[in-house]
Amino acid sequence: MDQEYKNYEKQPAKEPAQSERTRNTRIFVPKVDIYETPETMVLIGDVPGVDENSVEVILDKNVLKIHGTVDPQESQGRRLYYAEYEVGDYQRTFTLSEDVDREKIEASVKNGVLRVVLHKAAPVAAKKIAIKAG
Amino acid sequence: MATRSLLPSLRRKTETPAKREEEHPFYSLQREMNQLFDDFFRGFDLEPFGALEDRYAGFTPSIDVRESDEELTITAEIPGIDEKDVEVLVSDDAVTLKGEKKEEQEDKGKDYYRLERTYGSFHRVIPLPRGINLEKVEAAFKNGVLTVKLPKTEEAQTKGKKIPISTE
Repeated sequence: MDQEYKNYEKQPAKEPAQSERTRNTRIFVPKVDIYETPETMVLIGDVPGVDENSVEVILDKNVLKIHGTVDPQESQGRRLYYAEYEVGDYQRTFTLSEDVDREKIEASVKNGVLRVVLHKAAPVAAKKIAIKAG
Repeated sequence: MATRSLLPSLRRKTETPAKREEEHPFYSLQREMNQLFDDFFRGFDLEPFGALEDRYAGFTPSIDVRESDEELTITAEIPGIDEKDVEVLVSDDAVTLKGEKKEEQEDKGKDYYRLERTYGSFHRVIPLPRGINLEKVEAAFKNGVLTVKLPKTEEAQTKGKKIPISTE
């Protein structure tokens, strides 16, 4: 079993991949930290090799999907000498709880780290319903 | 699955064998099976302690080394670090990568749901073959990937002198 991934390495996505791929690259699950502050939920993911143009953060209903594309280096005329990691795309999906303000999601990438800030939705104030006499 | 991927590809043969052979369909099947067994046995493991160990294992960048006729290229995945916090030292026989990945401390009073990323200082020494032009080593850092280019000296690039073989 020479394919044991150590815990500090990128973890490959479980196969078979859930969606049909159109690119012949491997998919990795980025490592993330998720924490909560009184106003926000912050997700930080390690996506080395990804810049702001090659990452997508998609929110569909309550599913937040992160997809980062890394172009493999052209290895023309180069022999791989020693290898510890592979280049591949990043993909990970999270299910959000309901209380997130969908309009105010901020995402930024710096030095290969994706940071998504989700603002918590203001609680809906109780409203008194006037009752008409029938 | 595309039928093409079941056939041996000519293109693959020219590629480097080091890790790429695992793109082979049988290899990926084997990996899938291994993963299945690993996942099964992990269920009986002392997982909480294992997870704790990971957390304190610290951060180590992963490194690839490629070689062409003209140069040696080292790439390392170091996400979440500024270029000024990475140090690349070149000596006659080794390249040293040093740096520290610091935990961000900006948010106070945060509660973690997940902690998968690791932090800490790292120090890696990569031995070099002879014939590297130390004057022309370049390093670039982009999107969390460090690339160090080490050109070979001209002597190293020229192929060995060909000796004619005579018949007697």
